Amino acid sequence: MNVENRRYVIIAFILTVGVMYVSRLFYMQVIDDSWSNRAHQISEKRREITPPRAVIFDRNKNKIVANKTYFNLMVIEDKMGEDFDTIGFSKLIGLTTNDIHDRFAEIVKGEGIYYNKHNNTRVSNYQKIRPYPFLKELTKDEMAKIAPYLDAFPGFYEEETSMRYYPYPNAANILGYLSEVNAREVREDKFYKPSYNIGRAGIERYYEKELRGLKGVHYVVRSALNNDVKKYENGRFDTVALQAQPIQLGLDINLQAYGERLMQNKKGCIVAIEPQSGEILSMISAPSFDPNLLVGRKNVSLNYPQLLKNEGKPLFPRPTQAEYPPGSIFKLVQGLIGLQEGVITPNTGFACNKSLVGCHNHPAPSSIEKAVQFSCNPYFYYAVKKIIQQGKEDNIYRDSEKGLNLWNDYMHSFGFGEKLQSDLTGLRSGLIPNAAYYDRWYGKHRWAFSTIRSISIGQGEVKLTPLHMANLAAIMANRGWYYDPHFAKKIGDKPISNFTKRKTMVDAKHFEPIISGMWNVVNANAGTARKAEIAGIDVCGKTGTVQNPHGKDHSVFIAFAPMDNPKIAIAVIVENAGYGGTWAAPIASLMIEKYLLKEFKSMAKESRILNAILVEP
Amino acid sequence: MRKSNSLINNLDWPLFFGFISLIIFGLVTIYSVAFNEEHPSLFSFSEKYGKQVIWIGIALFLGVMVFLIDSDIYKKFALPIYLATLSLLVVVLFLPPINGARAWLGVGSMGIQPAEFAKIATALLLAKYVSSLNMKQLSSKNVLLALLILILPMVLILMQPDAGTFVVFTAFFFVLYREGLTFDPFLLKFVNLIPKVKFKQTWIGSHFIPILFVFIFLSVITLLFGERNIPFIPGLKLYGSMGIISSLFLIAGIGSFFVQRFGLKRARSKAQFVIILSFLVGSSISLTVEKSFGSLAPHQKDRIELFLGLKEDPNGKDYNRNRAMAAVGSGGLLGKGYKKASVSSVKTNHVPESETDFIFCPFAEEWGFVGSLFLVLLYLFIIVRILIIAERQRSQFNRIYAYSVGMFFFYHFAVNIGMNIGFAPVIGIPLPFFSYGGSSMLSFSIMIFILLKLDSQRRHVLR
Repeated sequence: MNVENRRYVIIAFILTVGVMYVSRLFYMQVIDDSWSNRAHQISEKRREITPPRAVIFDRNKNKIVANKTYFNLMVIEDKMGEDFDTIGFSKLIGLTTNDIHDRFAEIVKGEGIYYNKHNNTRVSNYQKIRPYPFLKELTKDEMAKIAPYLDAFPGFYEEETSMRYYPYPNAANILGYLSEVNAREVREDKFYKPSYNIGRAGIERYYEKELRGLKGVHYVVRSALNNDVKKYENGRFDTVALQAQPIQLGLDINLQAYGERLMQNKKGCIVAIEPQSGEILSMISAPSFDPNLLVGRKNVSLNYPQLLKNEGKPLFPRPTQAEYPPGSIFKLVQGLIGLQEGVITPNTGFACNKSLVGCHNHPAPSSIEKAVQFSCNPYFYYAVKKIIQQGKEDNIYRDSEKGLNLWNDYMHSFGFGEKLQSDLTGLRSGLIPNAAYYDRWYGKHRWAFSTIRSISIGQGEVKLTPLHMANLAAIMANRGWYYDPHFAKKIGDKPISNFTKRKTMVDAKHFEPIISGMWNVVNANAGTARKAEIAGIDVCGKTGTVQNPHGKDHSVFIAFAPMDNPKIAIAVIVENAGYGGTWAAPIASLMIEKYLLKEFKSMAKESRILNAILVEP
Repeated sequence: MRKSNSLINNLDWPLFFGFISLIIFGLVTIYSVAFNEEHPSLFSFSEKYGKQVIWIGIALFLGVMVFLIDSDIYKKFALPIYLATLSLLVVVLFLPPINGARAWLGVGSMGIQPAEFAKIATALLLAKYVSSLNMKQLSSKNVLLALLILILPMVLILMQPDAGTFVVFTAFFFVLYREGLTFDPFLLKFVNLIPKVKFKQTWIGSHFIPILFVFIFLSVITLLFGERNIPFIPGLKLYGSMGIISSLFLIAGIGSFFVQRFGLKRARSKAQFVIILSFLVGSSISLTVEKSFGSLAPHQKDRIELFLGLKEDPNGKDYNRNRAMAAVGSGGLLGKGYKKASVSSVKTNHVPESETDFIFCPFAEEWGFVGSLFLVLLYLFIIVRILIIAERQRSQFNRIYAYSVGMFFFYHFAVNIGMNIGFAPVIGIPLPFFSYGGSSMLSFSIMIFILLKLDSQRRHVLR
């Protein structure tokens, strides 16, 4: 046996291994990407930086929504070490050691829960090496007490966050609030990660995309312990987080605050609109609350249940969601339709026939102007009957069907019975019945005007939201057109132009006699809203007293001023307060005076309102 | 004067420069991996690179000592050296364990591992003993004694436990194979019991060692492939043995074709017979291993799977390999650049032990395929150079020793780089002259310097 040749066997074997290794290295390093992808996954982390939300100004550049710096006390369990001084720590943060253990248990159980697709379970993704917020939302002062001593407690450190801050304790119903995103929102929009905040209501919700800004992305090289080691490629791919441009609202925060003050101890709402732009000047929902109550988890968990339990339902956004029968203010629209349809003229008079429908004592309504001034029920009974039953069909049922649908078209041209195209969320459409609606109740062709007559004076099936009512005031002020009422005025430097000018089906000329009537309501001797008179301003208004099957009547008043070149249109509803002229009218006039006049003079009127307690005990 | 002159003239410079360049590249890599901004000097002795500089200094000093000592003493004192290291191996077993193994001798971070030096001692004694044998007339006692020299330190090392060095000791089988050690003395006793049979040698006996390696290789490969689901056909599983058998079938078919087409006419039928036999034996080995593995108790299976790195170890062997392969793969063609390793740097620490056992990772990550190719070629050059040196020795003692050194190098190279690329199980053995660490640096240096010294004096030895 020749042993000498075995050297070649061995060398061949070694070289074979060498060739295998070189080919394998070539495959791993040059051809196959998967290893290098895995390396990226392991060692690099994409860190997203969320900018603070955009700030919001009111129409006079007052900052009404800002951000405040808060701190989270973060903890990395792995870094705490064996001999962690729990007692000293409990003294520092003012919790008992039991509380600390409970909080840890809570973090371990609850933080970073994710849904495991493979076995359909929810698993806590808690890892000792990851940072978790131990205490959330500490103020600067609270943190300042803790921070200097943190060095003694390894594993704990502070982290800055920003949260909403509202310099004015007003307009909570307009601005809305933020809360943590839910699983669906995280799934649907890549912007959000669990524990991010999202606008839940109001402006914060509607302008979420405009407010949230652009996230910045930092790529960092990460260590096995999840610490950042350095910027990836010297930050070549990093982008800066960009706060969104501020939004300016048409809101007048001082007027809003004043309105909320006037509405203290009352239930109801005030909506004021600038007629020529459709910008909402104020929108009070009473009772109101401080928006700062719903900032941050701690506050929400404390205050939200209380607000929810409150008798006055402060969380219910009355101006947009409460639907009231409009009552007598509806007569304005009925008159306008009658004039446009030609079934009445400005000089048409009807007898105040109380056998048709109840009325109060007043001089005979010899014209539409007087009818508005006296708010004569039988007058509008006649007028609406003429609109609905125009005699174009021989059969009164068919005639009524046709007439009601025509009436319905008019109403929709005022924005009634539909959601206004606004930048408010959760709007209600109210209710304007059409023929099909009554067909469902009574059967087709089985009803006529007499069946549905209560709609003529704004009772019965008809329902409007306070926003609709304020919009009616604006339509009156504009003599027949309106912009959908909205809040936003400017985003950054760009004026908002999403809102279109809408025309009602009534010509401008028909408004004048009715507006004269509205002037009389406030300024003439027999007017129903003498309490709304303001020296030096021509206020035009209309009262309403809404029958309320559940209690005392609601006091309603809409107005605009000045009569020529109107600057403000307003609707006031005070629930369970009785006549429109008694409470709603003076409140509206105070608002108008506050907004239009530099010098406020109606101190007596003001103190009467402020002292009134109109909440049912 | 005459002597030192002859050393310079007779020194194998290619091997010497190979050795020096490995040390330099190794130090450069450690400097990159363990770099600490606070101590940027290469000679900051609080850092790993500073310590490595010390170890290199000691190694070079020992090298000079080795050159000064007459080479005869290694043969003369082979047995005492061997016994001394054996006793050290026994001593460490009674010391407190460090990192779960009783392998360390010494204080603090400057400890050494006697197992590293046992390699040299065993190589010397084995060389001395085997060179004294007449290979043509081996007795079973001779074979047993040769094996005993190997097995004694192997058992002690396994008790530490140090699986890595244990595996490295099997390198000696290659050496014994090269020297023609045959297992016939055992086999013939049985074979010649058969009436009318009187063999002088058997094929299995003389090729016992390569057969053993093929056996181990097939078993490991079979288990490495394991059970896999066949894609697109749910429920059907592909077993490791099926893959091995079909590959063997393919190789056998190709071999058979070449033999039939190009082989010598008279050798054809014999060669075909060998091919069929090898295929059958290989297939049955693969099948048997798989079946017997399947019948093992779960904890035994676990242990084997962990050893082979098939299973995710709670202590993270598979984790290490996964990270290491990611680091190597991320190097690309040209690498990320010096000091730019992001996965395997000590700072990120994604690859544990990246300055010792996994030092190939940062090197491959920073220098890419070009660097890896260079390093593999450098190691192959050194190994082959050592084997060439071995073959030119007049003395069989020198040759056996040189072969041992060459095969150690090969083992360390193959296993260490192999575990970075998924070709070898994760057993912690260092990359010679590259990894940080004193024991390996000193033992490999002494090994190489003894070889260089023996080689420089090869002409003094009479045939």
